[in-house]
Amino acid sequence: MVADAFRLKLELELQLPGTDLCVSLDTRTKAVAIVGPSGAGKSTLLRILAGVERRARGRVTFRSEVWQDSSSGAWVSPWERSVGWVPQDVLLFPHLSVRENLTYGAEPEASVTEIADLLQITPLLDRRPKRLSGGEQQRVALGRALIAEPRMLLLDEPFSALDRPLRAELCQVVRSWTLQRGVPLVLVSHDEEDARQLGEERYRLSAGTLSQED
Amino acid sequence: MHTNDPTSRSRPPRRLLTTFGVGWVLAFALAVPVRATPTAEAQDSALLVLAAASLADVLPQVALAWERTGGAPVAFSFSATSRAATQAVRDPTADVIVSADLQWVEWLRERGAVLAGTALEIASNDLVAIVPAGASGITSAEQLGGVTRIALAGENVPAGRYARSALEARGVWAEVEPKVVRSGSVRGTLEWVARGEVSAGVVYRTDALQDSDVALAFVFDSDDHPHIGYWAAPLVGSDVPDVARAFVAFLASTEAADVFGAEGFRLPSESFDAEQARSGSSLGVPGVASAIRLSVIVALLATLVGLVPAIGLGWVLARWDFRGKSIVSALVLAPLVLPPVVTGFLLLSVLGTNTPFGGALASLGLPVPFTLLGAALAAFVVGMPLYVISIRGAFEAVDSKYEELSSTLGVTPRRTFLRISLPLALPGIAAGAVLAFARALGEFGATVVLAGNVEGSTRTIALAVYTLLESPQGQEQVWLLVGASVAVSLLALFGFEVLSRRQKQRLEDRHGR
Repeated sequence: MVADAFRLKLELELQLPGTDLCVSLDTRTKAVAIVGPSGAGKSTLLRILAGVERRARGRVTFRSEVWQDSSSGAWVSPWERSVGWVPQDVLLFPHLSVRENLTYGAEPEASVTEIADLLQITPLLDRRPKRLSGGEQQRVALGRALIAEPRMLLLDEPFSALDRPLRAELCQVVRSWTLQRGVPLVLVSHDEEDARQLGEERYRLSAGTLSQED
Repeated sequence: MHTNDPTSRSRPPRRLLTTFGVGWVLAFALAVPVRATPTAEAQDSALLVLAAASLADVLPQVALAWERTGGAPVAFSFSATSRAATQAVRDPTADVIVSADLQWVEWLRERGAVLAGTALEIASNDLVAIVPAGASGITSAEQLGGVTRIALAGENVPAGRYARSALEARGVWAEVEPKVVRSGSVRGTLEWVARGEVSAGVVYRTDALQDSDVALAFVFDSDDHPHIGYWAAPLVGSDVPDVARAFVAFLASTEAADVFGAEGFRLPSESFDAEQARSGSSLGVPGVASAIRLSVIVALLATLVGLVPAIGLGWVLARWDFRGKSIVSALVLAPLVLPPVVTGFLLLSVLGTNTPFGGALASLGLPVPFTLLGAALAAFVVGMPLYVISIRGAFEAVDSKYEELSSTLGVTPRRTFLRISLPLALPGIAAGAVLAFARALGEFGATVVLAGNVEGSTRTIALAVYTLLESPQGQEQVWLLVGASVAVSLLALFGFEVLSRRQKQRLEDRHGR
C-alpha cells in the first residue's frame, strides 16, 4: 500500500483571529486521521488542502506536485487539485436534487446507481436536500465526493449525524473504496472511534500544532 | 460561518432596512422645517409671495426697493406659474401671486382665490428665438422651418403657447411641429441650445439674456402672439390684505418699472386686450394611453439593459475584495442620492450628440437626447443603485462555501457562477429587477433633462402628469395617470416582496438546522 511513491507533505502557518495553526506533516501513509478538540483548526487544515483557504503561508506538496508554495508564489487552484472534500456542514446544493448533487462534479458517464447503492441512498435520489435527515445529507455529500473520482479524499466529521451501527458500516465502505482505488484519505474528527477505524496513522491537533499518536 | 454565525443571512435585508429607516428619519427631519418656514414667516407679518420662476432674479430686487420705502419684509416662493397657482388654491396662507400669464389669474378668480379687478399688469416681455452662441444664419421665423430640432417650453405653459401662436402666424408651425422638443424648464431650453443639442429655441428675452452661451437670433413680432404680461394680484386668503394690495400696487409703480427695465423687461402694455390672452391657442392634452405604454416600454428597456451590468456589479461588490471597492460602490450608489436632474445633466454632458461618445452613438443611428433610448438610459442609470443593492444582497445571502465546494469538484469559477451562484441568487435578482423597474417607472428628473418631454417618444407617465399640471384644464385628467402610476408601482413592489421571500426560501436548505 505504501509501495507506490505516495507522499503528502505540509509546512503551514496560518494566523487569523481565532485560528493559530503551525502544522508540519510528512507522510507516506494513505490513511491519515487527525483528532482534536473543536476549534483546534482541523477544518481549516482540510480547507487549506482543498485549496479553498488561501491565507495560509507555507508549502503543500501532493505526490510530486507543488500545490502551494508561498515563497515561490506557486498555487494550484481547487478545481485543478481534484480532491473529494466533504465539509463538516455538508453543503448540498439546495436548488439541485440528490441525483443532480451526486453528478454535479462527475464525468457525464459516471454511474449514480453504484454509489447510491453503496451508501444506501437510492430511494432518496429524486428528493431535494432539505427533505433529507442530517445523516442522509452526510451520505449524499460523501457520494458526491466519491463519484467525482478524486485523487484524495478529505473528510471532515463525515459521520457525525449517523447512529453507531451505520457509522461503522460506512467507515467500512469508505475504507474499502479508498483501498480499492488507492486513493489517499485524510479524516478529521473529534471521534476517536472513527479515527481508529479509518486512520492508519493518527495525529492529534491541539493548540494549533500536530503531533503523531500511537 | 453557517453554523457559527446565524446573522450572516439576515444581514443584507437588515442593511437595506437600516438604509430605508435612516432615509425616512432624514426625510422627515428635512421636510418639517422646510414646510414650516414660509408659513412661519407669513405669520410673522412677512408677505409670502408665490411667483413665476422667470421673475426669480428681478423680484427680490423690487422687494428690496419696497422694503426701503418701509414696506413689510417679503418672502418669495418661485415656481412655474401653474404650480404657483395651484399652490395658491391649496395653501391659503400666501398673500400675493405673481403670474407670467393672465390665464392663470383668471383660473384663480374662477376659484375665488383672487377678486375680480384686483390684478395689475406689472411688466411685459418679448418672445425671442435663440441659437447656440457663434451659430449664424437664422434671422427670421420662416427659417425655423429648416432646423433639425427646436426646443420650446411645454405646450401648456405660456411660453410654449406663445411660441406656437407666433409660428402659426408666420405660417411655419406645420413645418416646425415635428421638430419640436419640449423642455421641462427655461433652464433646460437654454442648456440644450447652449450645447447645440437643438439648433434653436424659443424663450423670453429676459431668459435669453441670462446665458452667454446662447445668442439672440431674432425677436418675434409682438403682433404674432398674445401679449406677454406679468400679473400680480393679492390673494383672498391673505391675513394682511392691505399690505398685499399695497405690495401689488408697488409692483406696478414706476419705481418697480425701473428695476424691471434694468433686467430687460418691458413696461406693461397699454394696448392690452384681455380677451386675446384668455383665448390663446388650444391646449395640448398628453395622450394618457401613450404615456402609460411609453412608461412601461421605457422601464422594461431600462430593466433589461441594466440586467447584465447590475448582476456584474452586484457580484463584484458582494464577492470581490479590491482596492477602490468603496469608490466603485459609491459611484454605483450615487444616482440614489444625486438629484435626478443632476444625473440627467451629467448624462447629457457625456451622451449629448455634440460630445465624442454621444456623437459616435448618433452617427451609428442611436442618438440619445430626445429619444426613447435617452429616456430608457436615464431610467436605467437612476434605477441602477436599487438594482445593484438588491442583487448584491442576493449574492451575499448565498454562502460562499457552496462556491468553494463546487470548485473542489473540478468546476471552474465561471461555471460555478452559472451553475451555483446565479441560480441560488435568482429570486433575489428578479426582485432587484422588479425594484429597478418600479424606480424606472417613476423616473422624471433625469429624463426631462436628457430626453426632454416629447409626446409619443419620451413623455412617460411622470412627464405627462407634469405637463397636465401646467394646464388649468389638466387638473382632473391627472388623476387617471396618477391612478395608473400608483397601481403599476404598487404591483411592482408587491412583486418585489414576493420574490424576496422566495429568495429566502430557496436558501433554507437544510433540515433541522
